[in-house]
Parts: sequence; structure tokens; C-alpha cells
Amino acid sequence: MSFSERMLKIDRRIIFLMIGLCTLLPLLYPVGLPIKISSEVRGVYDHIESLPERSVFLLSIDFDPASKPELHPQAIALLRHAFRKNLRVIAMTLWVSGTGMADQLVTQVAQELGKEYGKDYAFLGWSPGGQAVIINMGQNLYSAFPSDYSGKPTKDLPILDGVRNLKDVTYMVSLGAGRPGVEEWYVFGKDKYKFEMGGGCTGVMAPGLYPLLRSGQINGLIGGLRGAAEYESLIGQKGKAVAGMDAQSATHVAIIVLVIMCNLFYFSLRRASQTQGQVG
Amino acid sequence: MDATVLGAWVATGLTLLIFSFLYKDNPLFKLAEHLYVGVSVGYIIVKTYDTVIVHLVVKPIVENGEIALLIPVAIGMLMLTRYVPKAAWLSRYAFAFIVGMGAGLAIPRTISSFILKQIEDTVRPLMSMTGPDGLAFSMNLLNPGSNLNALIILLGVSSVLFYFFFSIEHSGAGRAVARTGVIFLMVSFGAGFGYTVMARMSLLIGRLTDLIEFSDASYGRPTIWLLILMIAVLFFLSRRDQEHPPDTH
Amino acid sequence: MIFLRRQLPLLITLITGLLFAGQYYVPHPASEQMLTSATKWLQIIGGFALILGVTSLFHQHAVKIKRQEAGWGYSFVLYAGMLGTIAAGLWADGKESVDGAMTAFGWVYNFMMVPLQGTMFAILAFFIASAAYRSFRARSREAAVLLVAAVIVMMGRVPLGEYLIPLSGDVSSWILNVLNSSVRRAILIGVSLGAIALSFKIIFGVERSYLGGGKE
Repeated sequence: MSFSERMLKIDRRIIFLMIGLCTLLPLLYPVGLPIKISSEVRGVYDHIESLPERSVFLLSIDFDPASKPELHPQAIALLRHAFRKNLRVIAMTLWVSGTGMADQLVTQVAQELGKEYGKDYAFLGWSPGGQAVIINMGQNLYSAFPSDYSGKPTKDLPILDGVRNLKDVTYMVSLGAGRPGVEEWYVFGKDKYKFEMGGGCTGVMAPGLYPLLRSGQINGLIGGLRGAAEYESLIGQKGKAVAGMDAQSATHVAIIVLVIMCNLFYFSLRRASQTQGQVG
Repeated sequence: MDATVLGAWVATGLTLLIFSFLYKDNPLFKLAEHLYVGVSVGYIIVKTYDTVIVHLVVKPIVENGEIALLIPVAIGMLMLTRYVPKAAWLSRYAFAFIVGMGAGLAIPRTISSFILKQIEDTVRPLMSMTGPDGLAFSMNLLNPGSNLNALIILLGVSSVLFYFFFSIEHSGAGRAVARTGVIFLMVSFGAGFGYTVMARMSLLIGRLTDLIEFSDASYGRPTIWLLILMIAVLFFLSRRDQEHPPDTH
Repeated sequence: MIFLRRQLPLLITLITGLLFAGQYYVPHPASEQMLTSATKWLQIIGGFALILGVTSLFHQHAVKIKRQEAGWGYSFVLYAGMLGTIAAGLWADGKESVDGAMTAFGWVYNFMMVPLQGTMFAILAFFIASAAYRSFRARSREAAVLLVAAVIVMMGRVPLGEYLIPLSGDVSSWILNVLNSSVRRAILIGVSLGAIALSFKIIFGVERSYLGGGKE
């Protein structure tokens, strides 16, 4: 067996170890390379920045723990920004498994910035049905969510004064890890109820949402951990996403090195077999 | 012991049990895998009961007398007849309602959002007005809204749609268009792969960040102790398998 | 009987499908009120659908335990996890926190479900690396294009890549915004056309597989 063949059949646990170390070491010893801000992320930031105080900001936390590392930092950064701008923040989720996480992160950021429940923010919790919830909120928010997460009637929440349905929402961002997510919020929400909308999503989904971004159907897109790191840089409060960027860099370079090595061995093997064929 | 410290030990232990799969499939991983499914199902059942039965049905009926809500409850119950073979056909009414309504709601909204709006943005003017009577063609590739990029997008959308929809044998000019479509597709799939790598690595970064946090003395360093324990158990299991290979018959 | 078992469900699909497709174009208050009520119903029915989906697991694992199939002990772990979570959930009225304080249900969620689910997906990072090494080869011209695009995007989306090759950021941004956008748009249009065609087939009873269970 030639060297190239041996290398191509290397025990996969060696690759696992390499990836593990490439992730772990930069987390333990960060370098802090500068992060360039993309126009996609700036779209969401600039829009929130332009909103007047007490505008209604709806954040739909449409992910579960499987996507927590990518979308949780996005949610934290967006909430910090919205609370600093004194917007009325209404949070909710369309993903049942994300309810506990959404409750925790909204409460955490609100406490950090001294916000009062019911007056400055509210967490509506989860409701089943995905697209049906969006349409129902568009028709009548109190029908879709008769009570908030803690069981208080939504009609009694001062933060919802003057908010009847999605038409009264000034800006909405869905942080989606799949379906229902950004696309459903556009199709069943914005298409009819005409609120301004931005999106946040996992890295896997981001390339698929670019058509909506180009056509202006969403005015900004925060993609994956990199998007979250950009948003953290924009609001000037670095968090878990910026901390993870060095590890992200190292693992990407490691994968690129692996791909290059794999191709070098592959071409060396192909050349060797062609030479053998000619000799034969 | 403080609930958070105990939680840190449990979370670290479960994380390491799942990671043990990287060494090889083993009983510890299977245990964690089944626990994951059980806890998730239990969680969904509780949340659904609390949200649907308590807050969307019982409270509105008791407090506001919204008796009409019994209709969706009845339809939902019909769905559960799938578990009773003799009455399973009754579930068809529930599915007929959901599927019919879902299809009806989706048709106009999908046409408006994903077909008309997307086509509208694809067939942009190829020249832009620059003054009272001047026309210009902007060549800046880095500006996504430039005329050159609008032209590239038109070419990309048309060639990919041609490649997908015309399943006739591609020859002559058709072959050139289809080949262009394939090149566009490959670039997009490459970008998709790049982003998928980014996403998967982010998930690992998230879990390792938690493990680093739980290696802190304030939690009693569960990451370090449980990692040592895990390695010892895997070593023991591996030795046992070598001495008594599992019966494959 | 065949009318009740087959034709009536198809009729319900036809009527509801046409009614709610038409409703979009008739914004009369009565039609809007119908949409409000019906989507509320759909929310409640959605809850039952979720229960139907997850409870099918009960049956599967109960059979495994009953027949003592290979690995039936793990099914016990599954049941224990499920029943324990349900007990904690009912004890805490289905709330993970009350006035900011974590409940037992919240503890199970935060320290069991979150790490388990998170890690289950995190191990994919290792497998994608291994797969990239084993199979991401430039076997043809098309594969080479895919490979080059992937490398540029991977470089351009991380700070180290932008630092080493400053142009990679702009090139990857162009790939995503222009080349990738056009392909995804074509796919979106194609998939949407397919979904609409399927919806019409469902409404007019051509596609009936959703009727599934039970005898004729």
C-alpha cells in the first residue's frame, strides 16, 4: 500500500482529534482577530437603530437547543440592542423545544438592562400550528396568544397597548433554525400584514435566504455564529459569538488543509495508476 | 449540593456520554441517546398539554364561554383515532380539514411571496437612469445591485430553471445553457457546503464553551473528573470486548 | 359507507382548500373573521397532531420491551426519561421558571435536554470534517468548481481567512449575493411551483396519500 493510499485510509479518529484540538485551543487561548461587518447584518442593525423609542419590536425565537450555539448569541445581541433603544419588545417562539431557552434568554437580558416585565417587554411563550399561529396573530394577536408564558392575560399587559395584530408591529425579526422560521414569517405574515422584517438563521440555512434578501423581502440577514459575532461587534458588547470566532477560523483552516491533502493524495494515486496503466 | 452545581455535573456527564460515540458506538452513548429521546418527548407532551389544553382550550371555555373551541378539540380527538384500528378511518376527517386548509392557505401566499416577488426582482432593468436623460450600465461586481450583477442573476436563474425543467436531451444551444446552469449550481452548492461547515463547527464550539465553563472550580471541575472517568470506562469496555468478543450468532 | 369513509373526507378537503385559497382575495370582514376562527382552530388541532407524532414512539418501544428485543433495556431508559420529565413538568405547571426562579422542569430542560440535544448535533462537526477529507475530491470539472467555491466561502467567512487573503471576503460575499442568490432563487421558484401543483392535486383529490390509515 502506497503512502497516499495509507493516508487516505487514515483512522477517522485522528481527524476527530485534530478538529477537537483546533476548536479547543483557540477557545482557551483567544487571539481576537478583527471581524469585518457585512451589509447583510448591518441591514438589521441600521433598521433597529433608526426606530423611534417605544416602537413595537417582535422577536420570534424559532430554534431549539440543537442550534443554540449559533442563534442564542444572535438573540442576546438583538435583545440588548432593542432594549438599549427602549423599544417595546415582544418575544415568542414557534418551536416547542425552544420555549425554556427563549424564556431564559429574554429574562436574562431584560434583567441585565433593568427592564420591567409587562411595561418594557413580554414573553408570549409557544403556541402550536406554525403558520396558523402567524396568520392568527396577523388577524388578532389576543386570539393567538390569549395569555403570556406565565399565564397572565395578554389583554392586561400595558406593553401591548395599541397593538391589535401584526399590522401594529413596527419591526419583526425571526431567528429561525428551519421550519417554521424566516420564510414562513414572510409568506404567512409580512406578505399580508405588511410589517418590516429582518431575519437571522443558522449557517446551513443562510445561503437559501439570500433571494429574499436581494428582493428586499427581508431587510437584513444575520447568518450563523459569524453573523452573531458581527452584531455583537456592532453593538459594542462582545459575547460568546466573538469569543468563538478564533475557533471558527482555526477549524475552517483545518478543513481546508484536509481537503487540499485529500486532493493531493487522490491526484498522486491517480497519476500512479495512469503510469502503471501505460507501463502495463 | 446547589441545584446549578448538580446541573453542571449532569450536563457535563451527558455531554461526554454523547461525545463517547466519537471513539466508537458504545452502551454509554446508547443510554444518553435514549434518555435524550425520552426527555424530549416528555417535554413536548407537558408543553402541549399546558399550552393547548390549559391555555388555548379550558381557560377560554371556562372564563369566556368560548364553546366553539370544542369543535377543534373534537377534530383533534378524531386524529387520535389512528390508534384504534376499527375507528382509524375517522381520523381522515381531521386530516382532510388540516390538509385542505393548509393547501388553500398556501397557494395564494406562495404565488405572491415566492413566485411573483422573485420573478419581479429577477427581471430588473438592465440599464439604470443616471440623470434627466442619461442611461448607465454599472459594472461594479462588489455592489450586489449593479447592472452587471442583475444580468448575471438573470442568466443564473434562467439557466438553472432551464436545466431543471427541460428534461429533453440537451444539445446545441440548449447544451450550452444547461452547462451554464450546472456551473451556477456547483458554485451555489460549494457556498452551501462552506456554510454547512461553518454551522457544524459553531455547534461544536458551543458545546466546548460549556465544557470549559464547567471545568471551573466553582462547579467542582466536573469536566475534568468526568472526562477521566469516561476514559477509564471506555478503556474497561474496550478491554472487556477484547477478552470476551460479543457473540455475533 | 364508502361515502363516509372516502368521499366525504375528499369533499371536506375540496371545500376547505377552495374556501381558504379564495379567502385571500376577499378581505370582507366576515371572511376575515372566518380566517381568524379557523386559524385558531388549526392551532389547537396542531397540538393534537404533535401529540400524535410523539406518542407513536410509546408504542414502538413498548413492543420492544414486551418482546425483549435486542437493546430493550434502553427502552426503559427512554420511558424513565419521559415519565420523569412529565412528572417534573406537571409539578411545575409546565413552566421552566416562575418569576425568574428555575423550576424542577426547568432544571431537567437546562441540564439534560439542552446538553443532550446540543451535543447530538455537535458531533456532526467531526463527521463533516472526516467526510470532507474522504470524499471532497476534484474528480471532474464540476466537482472542482464546487470545491473552489467552498474553499473561498470557508476562507471569506472567518476573520483568519480575511486576514490571510483579504480579497476572499469580497469574493465570498459576491458568490453568496449574486451566484448563490440566482441558483437559490431558481430553486425557490421551482419548488414553489411544485408545491402549488401538489396543493391543487390535494384539493381536487388527485393526491390522496394523506388519508392513510383505516380500511376503505
